[in-house]
Amino acid sequence: MSIKKMAFIVDKMPYKSETSRLALTHAIASQTVEIHLEDGENVEPVLAFIGAGVLNCLKNQKASEVYGVTTLESHIQNALLTDIKVLICEEDVKKYGLTEDQIIMDAEELGADITSELVPFSTIMSEMESSDHILFF
Amino acid sequence: MKVGVFLSEHVKSNDTLDRLRAGSFDVVLVQNGVYCAAIKENGQASPVLGKATKVYALSEDLVSRGLEPSQVDEKVSVVNYDGLVDLIFNEFGKTIWL
Repeated sequence: MSIKKMAFIVDKMPYKSETSRLALTHAIASQTVEIHLEDGENVEPVLAFIGAGVLNCLKNQKASEVYGVTTLESHIQNALLTDIKVLICEEDVKKYGLTEDQIIMDAEELGADITSELVPFSTIMSEMESSDHILFF
Repeated sequence: MKVGVFLSEHVKSNDTLDRLRAGSFDVVLVQNGVYCAAIKENGQASPVLGKATKVYALSEDLVSRGLEPSQVDEKVSVVNYDGLVDLIFNEFGKTIWL
């Protein structure tokens, strides 16, 4: 009987492959796994974007109009809606010349209570160290 | 007629691209290649943009990723699907996909 912390780390870009989308769907699915577990057991997910993975977090993605697929933006907002801790590496956001206003920081229109956090890589490293399992996407 | 070189990854260089004869080809950035057009890594434009006299980026792939056509480097011309078809039929004798 325990809580297992799982870190979902995304370092791949969106759309060319399904990899980063899998991270989002797996992280969101982990929030519903409780119904299959015994009392007192649960999964605590944390989702972090590092390296080129931060490019998943750009606002105003129009992939649904162009490709007919759900956007990574909508998946990230759904993650926030399901109270998943979303961390975005601030060094990598800066490296790619991006600013906070270009990044998905909240899902207020969906009614999410929490926001994404721009954090140093050291914070993400600490999350990985304190996790029971780390999954890289 | 020139060769149309389609680049679909966000890379700093490509061995084949480096070996092609200068002036014989134009680069078309598609899929994740469009990040080369709009993202300045560590403040520097992608080296790929200096490989060809003309560099195009596909607008549909830009906006899908949350990038506005107005964000692209001044060296890059933004084309849509229709424009790309025109390029393939009118400007490029052959196309290759890297």
